[in-house]
Amino acid sequence: MNLIDQVEQLFIQDKIDIFLGYKALDGHLLPHGFTRDRMEELKALQVSEGRYSLEKIATHLTEKHPDIRIGMIARECNLRTLNLLYTWKQLNPENIETINISCCPSPLKPHSDCSYLEPKQTGAYKKTHGIDFNADPDTFLDDFNNKNRFSRWMYEFNKCIKCYGCRNICPVCFCDECSLEHASLVEPGTLPVDVPIFHLIRATHMAGRCIDCGLCEDACPMDIPLRLLYRQVNAIVSDIFDYRPGNGTDQSPFTIIGEKTVLEPKPMDAQLEGEKEYGL
Amino acid sequence: MTIKRIRFMQELLTFFGLEGRLHLEWISSAEAQKYVQVVTDFTEKIRQMGPNPLKKIDAAVKGAI
Repeated sequence: MNLIDQVEQLFIQDKIDIFLGYKALDGHLLPHGFTRDRMEELKALQVSEGRYSLEKIATHLTEKHPDIRIGMIARECNLRTLNLLYTWKQLNPENIETINISCCPSPLKPHSDCSYLEPKQTGAYKKTHGIDFNADPDTFLDDFNNKNRFSRWMYEFNKCIKCYGCRNICPVCFCDECSLEHASLVEPGTLPVDVPIFHLIRATHMAGRCIDCGLCEDACPMDIPLRLLYRQVNAIVSDIFDYRPGNGTDQSPFTIIGEKTVLEPKPMDAQLEGEKEYGL
Repeated sequence: MTIKRIRFMQELLTFFGLEGRLHLEWISSAEAQKYVQVVTDFTEKIRQMGPNPLKKIDAAVKGAI
């Protein structure tokens, strides 16, 4: 059964209220919510190399309408994210239907069928002054001394234009209050960005959270090798706490602020205003 | 938990290139000698490493504005 038929079936069997996928529009594939009222749109439903955090749309929808049943295309990275969002009570697994697509690297294909189809290219200048996208955290530590690591990360961080793209695209960024908008940590509305504090705050918050989908690195207009940084923080958490995000059903034991983090995840309560606005 | 948290921070700072600038030690209020020793040793260690390279960058950025 092809994808479109599968989605149609989900609607016919009344298993979902909305299906999140990609719709072709003027040659672009954009994330789109397909509904029963507009079944004809399903013709344009596609799977693409391009990716977007559909889970993030799902979390936002659920925030407004806690009981909404959502179907979505799920790659392996999406499935890891969904699992993590379930453990943090941002989504209810009973309300989510996925149509799974296998696309991650395997022994048969070294690269994924997504924007990581090809390994990222690192230019010569970036290689000598900055950090190779494809570097491995362990080799990076072995290859460069303390001073060298510092200057390379500073070269990368200094390029930051503080667009918040990495946070906005991140499917596992769901805190109500964001440290990156706390005036005492990151001065609001000014450039250049506070380096390295901005990036180290985010790195710390990704520890035990990041499911390594690579969307942040894709989104970054300044080519900062964020994936490498978050891979390392996750490796540290895995080392110290024996925890790997997206795998189990437990929340990460690692919190940097205290036993109880002040950055509470959003509750799944209905927001009355939102209900009125959307009339669902 | 603090031991683990600090170890996380130490390893993150090492990755970033600020190795050895964060130290954690358990000292009881009855261990004055140990306290003096730890603080002296760490001060000496930091002195040998020189000032934090971030300080220079901060000053340069502030100077440029």
